[in-house]
Amino acid sequence: MTVGTEVIEPKTEVQTVEEGRTRKGWINWIFVAPAILFQFFWGWYPSIVAIFLSLTNAPIRGALTFRGIENYVRLASDPLVPMAFRVTLIYGIASIVLTFFIPIFTAILLMEMPPKTMRVMMILWFLPLSGIASTLFWQYLYNENFGLFQFIATSVLGLPPQAFLSSERWVLLWLIVPGIIMYGPGLYYITGLQAIPKSYFEAAEVEGAGFWRKIWTISLPRLRPIIFMSMLFSIIGSLQEFTFPDLMTRGGPNGASRTVVMYMFNLLNNGRIGDSTALAVMLFALIMILVLIFRLLVKSDPDV
Amino acid sequence: MSLFPTVGRKQASVRISWWLVVAFLVLGIFLHLVPFYIMISTSIKPASEAMAMPPTLWPKEPTFVAWKLVFNLSDIAKSVLPQPLSRYFLNSVIMTFGTMLLSIPVTSMAAYAVSKLLKGRTANNLFVFFIGTLMLPGIVSLIPSFLLTRNFPFPLPVAPNIPGTATPFPTLRIWNTYWAVILPAGFSAGNFLLFKGYFDSIPDSIINAARVDGGSEFNIFRRIILPMSVPVYAVVAYFTFGGTWDSYLWPLVVIQDSSIAPLTLAIRRITDAFGAAGTTNPLTAIGASAGITDLVNQGLSWNGLMVLGLLQALPTFIFFIITREYLLKGVKIQGLK
Repeated sequence: MTVGTEVIEPKTEVQTVEEGRTRKGWINWIFVAPAILFQFFWGWYPSIVAIFLSLTNAPIRGALTFRGIENYVRLASDPLVPMAFRVTLIYGIASIVLTFFIPIFTAILLMEMPPKTMRVMMILWFLPLSGIASTLFWQYLYNENFGLFQFIATSVLGLPPQAFLSSERWVLLWLIVPGIIMYGPGLYYITGLQAIPKSYFEAAEVEGAGFWRKIWTISLPRLRPIIFMSMLFSIIGSLQEFTFPDLMTRGGPNGASRTVVMYMFNLLNNGRIGDSTALAVMLFALIMILVLIFRLLVKSDPDV
Repeated sequence: MSLFPTVGRKQASVRISWWLVVAFLVLGIFLHLVPFYIMISTSIKPASEAMAMPPTLWPKEPTFVAWKLVFNLSDIAKSVLPQPLSRYFLNSVIMTFGTMLLSIPVTSMAAYAVSKLLKGRTANNLFVFFIGTLMLPGIVSLIPSFLLTRNFPFPLPVAPNIPGTATPFPTLRIWNTYWAVILPAGFSAGNFLLFKGYFDSIPDSIINAARVDGGSEFNIFRRIILPMSVPVYAVVAYFTFGGTWDSYLWPLVVIQDSSIAPLTLAIRRITDAFGAAGTTNPLTAIGASAGITDLVNQGLSWNGLMVLGLLQALPTFIFFIITREYLLKGVKIQGLK
C-alpha cells in the first residue's frame, strides 16, 4: 500500500500540471489577442481593402460606386504617372546599387579592430542624426548661393556655379549622394559577423586563404541570409521613398524628383482618393514583381 | 582580427594594409560626425555669417541669438509657425511615448506567445499572420488606413447607410487626434521579429521549471522573461522611439491642426517658408515672405534651421546614449547556419 501510494502520488502531481496547462489554454490567447486585433485592423484589413477601393470612384461625399478599371485607365493617360514611376525606379535602383553594399563591407572591416577600439568606433558611428534633422543639414549644404558644395564646386574645383537641387537633370543624383557619403556599418551585419566562430578563419588560414579569400568564402556566405533580407527590405523601402525627397525638393524642379508616393500624396490632397489608391496598387504590383524577380535570381541560402 | 594572418603580422605589406583599413574606418566616422559639427557651428553663427560665401569653419563671433529666437519663432512670425515650438515638441513626445507604451507590450506579448506558449500549426499560422505584412509595401494600405481613422471600422470616405434606412452606420473618428498616430502603430511586425528571435533563444526548460513551481503564465512572463529580455526591449524601444519621433508621411496625412502637429510637420512648414533648396512653391513663398523678412532682420536664417535640426535630433541622441549598451546584445537573428 505504502509503495503504491508512493508511486501514484507523483503521477497525480504531473497530471495536475498537465491539466492546469490545458485548462489555462485560453490564457495564451490573452497574450496574442490585442496584437491580432491591431494587426488585422491596421495591417491586413486596409491592405486588402485598397484593391477594392481602387476600383471605385471613392467620392468625398455621395454614394460609392463601382467603376471597374476606370481609375487605372485615367492614370495610364496621365503623363505625370510614368514620370513618377521613372523617378522612383531610378532613385530606388541607384540608391540600392550605390549604398547597399558599403555597410556590409564596413562591418566586415570593423570586425578587424581590437575589441576596445571597435567599441569606441561603433559608438561614434551609431550616434544617430535623425533623418529629419539631416535633411535640414543637406539642404544647407546644397544651397546654390552659400552652400558648402557650391563653395567646393566653384572655389576649390574651379567649376561654374552648379544648380544642384534645382537641376532637372542631376537632382536625383544629388538626392542619392548623401547615402553614399554617410556610410556606416550595419548593426545586423555586425551581429551576424560576431556569431562566426574564430576557428573558421583559423582553419581557412591553415589552408592558405588570404584577406579577400576569407571575406569571400567565410564572412559573406555566413552573412548571406541577413544580406538577402536587407536587400528585400531595401527594394520594398526605397521604391516607397517619400520623406527625404519631399523635404529636400518637394518633388521639384518640374517633377524631376517627384516619386510615386509623392504623387499619390498630391492626388490625395486634391481629393482624388480613388486615383491615389489605384496608384498605390500599381506601385504595389511593381514592387511585388521586382521582389519576385529578386527571389528567383537570388536564393537566401544556396545549400538548402 | 581574423582576416589578417596570425603569423607574420610584422610584415610591411600586412601592416600597411591594416593601417589602410583603419584609415577607411576613421574616414567613415569623420564623415559621420561632420553634420554634427556643421550644424552646431552654424547654429551659433549670426544670420549673415550663416549665409556667407565662402562658408566659415567656425563663427568669428559665436552668438546664441538663433537659439533664443527659435524658441520665440511663433511670436515673431506667426505665418511661419502658428504654434510655439514647445507645443510641437510636446506633441511629438506624446505621440512617441504613447506609441511606445501601446506597441511594445502588445507586440512583445504576442511574440512571446508565438515563441513559447502556442505550439504546432496554431503558432505557425499566427507567425505568418503577424509577419506577412512585412512583405507588403506599406504604401498600399496608406489611404484605406487614413480613411479608417476617419470612419472606423469603414475604410471608406463616407460610412455606408444601414440597409433599408437613410442613416449611416455609427463610426469612430480618431482622425486629427493623437490616437490617429498611436493606434495604427499598436502592433509592429518588424519588432515582432526582433522579439521572437530573442525569446526563441531563451531555453524552454527555464519556463517549464517555473511552471512546476506553480507560476502563472503572466507571472512567468513578468518575473522571469522580462528581466532576462532587457536588451531586446531596449533595442525595440530605441527603434520605436526613433521611428515615431521621425515619422513624417503618416502625421502629414492624419494630422491637420497645427496645435497637435508633431515637430516633423513644423519643420516641413518652416522649410516651406524658407523656400530652401531653390525649389520653392511660389505661392507659399509670397505668403510667408513677410514673416521671413522679419526673421532675417532679427538675426534668424539658416542658423535657426540648424538649431531646429539639433533640437529635433537631440531626443533620439539621448535615447541612443541610454540604450547603446544593449544594441548588439538585443539583436538575435535566427536562421544563421
